[in-house]
Amino acid sequence: MRSDLLTNVLSELNGASADIEASAVISTDGLMMAAQLPSGLDEDRVGAMGAAMLSLGDRTAQELSRGKLEQVLIKGDSGYVLMTHAGSEAVLSVLAKSEARLGLIFLDVKRAAESIAKLV
Amino acid sequence: MENKIDFEQLAHETRILTGFTNAHETLLIEAAPDITPHLVHVTEAFYKILHTLPKAQPFLDGRLEALKKAHLNWLESLFTGPFDADFAQGMYHVGMVHVRVKLPVEFMQGAGTLILSELISVAKEVYQDDAQRQADIIRAINGVIGFSVTIMQESYQASSLAEELDKFLAITGMSRTLFNNLALAYEN
Ligand code: HEM
Ligand code: HEM
Repeated sequence: MRSDLLTNVLSELNGASADIEASAVISTDGLMMAAQLPSGLDEDRVGAMGAAMLSLGDRTAQELSRGKLEQVLIKGDSGYVLMTHAGSEAVLSVLAKSEARLGLIFLDVKRAAESIAKLV
Repeated sequence: MENKIDFEQLAHETRILTGFTNAHETLLIEAAPDITPHLVHVTEAFYKILHTLPKAQPFLDGRLEALKKAHLNWLESLFTGPFDADFAQGMYHVGMVHVRVKLPVEFMQGAGTLILSELISVAKEVYQDDAQRQADIIRAINGVIGFSVTIMQESYQASSLAEELDKFLAITGMSRTLFNNLALAYEN
């Protein structure tokens, strides 16, 4: 039930921009809660890796006096990984194309994270 | 941690590594009636030597009698066997007990050599008229001491790895559950 609602939020997010290729909601412990992933990506790995990155991001922001963590952005030559907290229990992880316009994606992701925070 | 270890495999590998064979096992069990009566003296000699080492005192103070009893029981078990997965698990546990009291690992290793040396004296005396048996039993005792001490060292190794991991988790802010999930995701 909850995972259906989460999946709806993710579908909406993926539909909002053609530049978003995949998205997932992960518990802060690294377990997949809902996902819209292309086949070939291992859900367990996406989940655990995303939560680990965010945890490290939290620490880094704290350690380097950057305040409360808002997002972790990773850029590879084939695109982006963007992770944000969605409430205190969940992480929203998004994969975007390399030509994506980040400003728009940040907005969509922020909105989705707020919806997710209300569900988890 | 102890329940994740394959003690069957650990026993098997440690036997190979320390040259401890089935023939040695049989010899030890056969020798039990001859050797066991002397083990009290081995224990006494062991603690007498430990008493000359100031660094060992904090580990002995106030519990010497209990320790002697535990060590004597262990010595006796070297002549009863079987040296299987259960024995390995027992030695791993004994290793952990020493890790918890923070006994330095070199004390463990050194103690193994001391006890071996005492047991060699016993074997030489008991089998003084049978040179072949003497040589065979000394090899078997060497094997079983090496086997035991090597497994106890495994506990030290595991606990120092666990300490490293704790540090890493504290630094990165990752929870133990997250780490376990990460490890599971990359298990194969
Ligand atoms: C009583 C046991 C052992 C002794 C006394 C011993 C002694 C040595 C010595 C003197 C060296 C040369 C160190 C140097 O470069 O200055 C060495 C290197 C090495 N030993 Fe052992 N060894 C022992 C057991 C083992 C075992 C059981 C293994 C593997 C199963 C092993 C694997 C190696 C390896 C891989 C190196 C090369 C390290 C490198 O790349 O420089 N050793 N050992
Ligand atoms: C080959 C070497 C050794 C063996 C096989 C051995 C064996 C044992 C055994 C069977 C126990 C009882 C474990 C239990 O409670 O289940 C024990 C406990 C203990 N041993 Fe040893 N030991 C060795 C070396 C040493 C040395 C060298 C010291 C100190 C200098 C030491 C100090 C202790 C202490 C302090 C405990 C009690 C821990 C407690 O408070 O429960 N051991 N040992």
